[in-house]
Amino acid sequence: MADQTEFERELAVLLVTSLNLSLDPQAIVPDVPLFREGLGLDSIDMLEIALAVSKQYGVELRADDPDNQTIFSSLRALAAVIAARRAHS
Amino acid sequence: MAAHWSEQRERGSALLLRLMRAIALAAGRRVAGLLLWPITLYYYVAAGSGRVALAHFYQALGRRPTGRVLFHHYLTFAHTILDRVYLLARRADAPPLRVQGFEAIQKWLDRGQGCVLLGAHLGSFEAARAAGLRHEGLKMQIIMEERVSRKLNRVLEVLDPDARNTAVGLGGPSALLHVRDTIAAGGLIGIMGDRIAPAERSYTAEFLGRSCLFPLAPLRLAASLRAPVFFFTALYRHSIDGAPCYEVVFHPLAVAAPEGPARRQWLQDLGARYVGCLQRYCRMAPDNWFNFYDFWSTHTLGSLHARAAHESARRGSDRAVDCADFVKRRRA
Repeated sequence: MADQTEFERELAVLLVTSLNLSLDPQAIVPDVPLFREGLGLDSIDMLEIALAVSKQYGVELRADDPDNQTIFSSLRALAAVIAARRAHS
Repeated sequence: MAAHWSEQRERGSALLLRLMRAIALAAGRRVAGLLLWPITLYYYVAAGSGRVALAHFYQALGRRPTGRVLFHHYLTFAHTILDRVYLLARRADAPPLRVQGFEAIQKWLDRGQGCVLLGAHLGSFEAARAAGLRHEGLKMQIIMEERVSRKLNRVLEVLDPDARNTAVGLGGPSALLHVRDTIAAGGLIGIMGDRIAPAERSYTAEFLGRSCLFPLAPLRLAASLRAPVFFFTALYRHSIDGAPCYEVVFHPLAVAAPEGPARRQWLQDLGARYVGCLQRYCRMAPDNWFNFYDFWSTHTLGSLHARAAHESARRGSDRAVDCADFVKRRRA
């Protein structure tokens, strides 16, 4: 089993359901890249994730954010950004 | 193997293109149109594999691909490129646009709902864009493959610097968030749904009597944007008096995508309707088909598989993607 924090596990479930992946959420290794050679997601999946995240957590992922490349790099990075932004709002 | 569209080299030098632009603007459409004959003849003769591919397309339509038909086809393509100059410069000598079916889109726009336009390399996207620009304040972006026609686009951009902002590429995570924002702001997004890249996920549809793969990404993007989807094309035609015009057509394909498991059926229906529409307008104006490569032999699993393997070998990477596996792996 992958070493996920509680919030990462919650987010993993959100990814799997919103993208309709045939994958066990707990099997997503938090620091493995979400895209391409990692989990094999693409930019359209990313868009779907952004939508799910804004619906679920009220955190808006913006087009002009210079950190977008990092934010979507892994489950861990995504979870960290959402947690931080939720705390701020 | 004939060159895949993404590998075809763009012909013509930037200097010549700039010269042609200057002549087009100074001499007007009629005179520049005469120059298209020798230019087209050159491209026609130099085309080689593109000409053979085009002949296959006409055979699939049940038409005899005579030299005259094929030359006329190249000439139509040349005209649509020349007309980009007049459309971008908003000159009066640009051929008139006859728009059909925009009312259905307008209804959505009036409610602040953006729409997705699904097109193809059929006709002139520039004329379609010009039709959109007639509506003041309407935000319209066309998603383009950045690698093709780069030289030509750079020469033409000068005529309307805003045009650059309406054509976006798909690199990086921010690009699609911009697309999302355009839809959220009640704008239009244009996507091409016909060309497929190696290792791209695909769906199968019958196209002009033969089974063919089409890219899934444009449909998935439309689904993720949760917006109504329309087919669009701007066909280069002639009116009864022989004067050229563009028939700009918008045709409803789907309402906004549903959530959850119903999404799959929605994607399937959208794909079938899109290819049906594409076929219909190909038959109506075959000389507007601007995919100058062998469409059917390129759009097969075997060919795309070979291309993906070839590409990863060329890049020396170990990321050889199994295309068949790629298609099957998810949401099977």
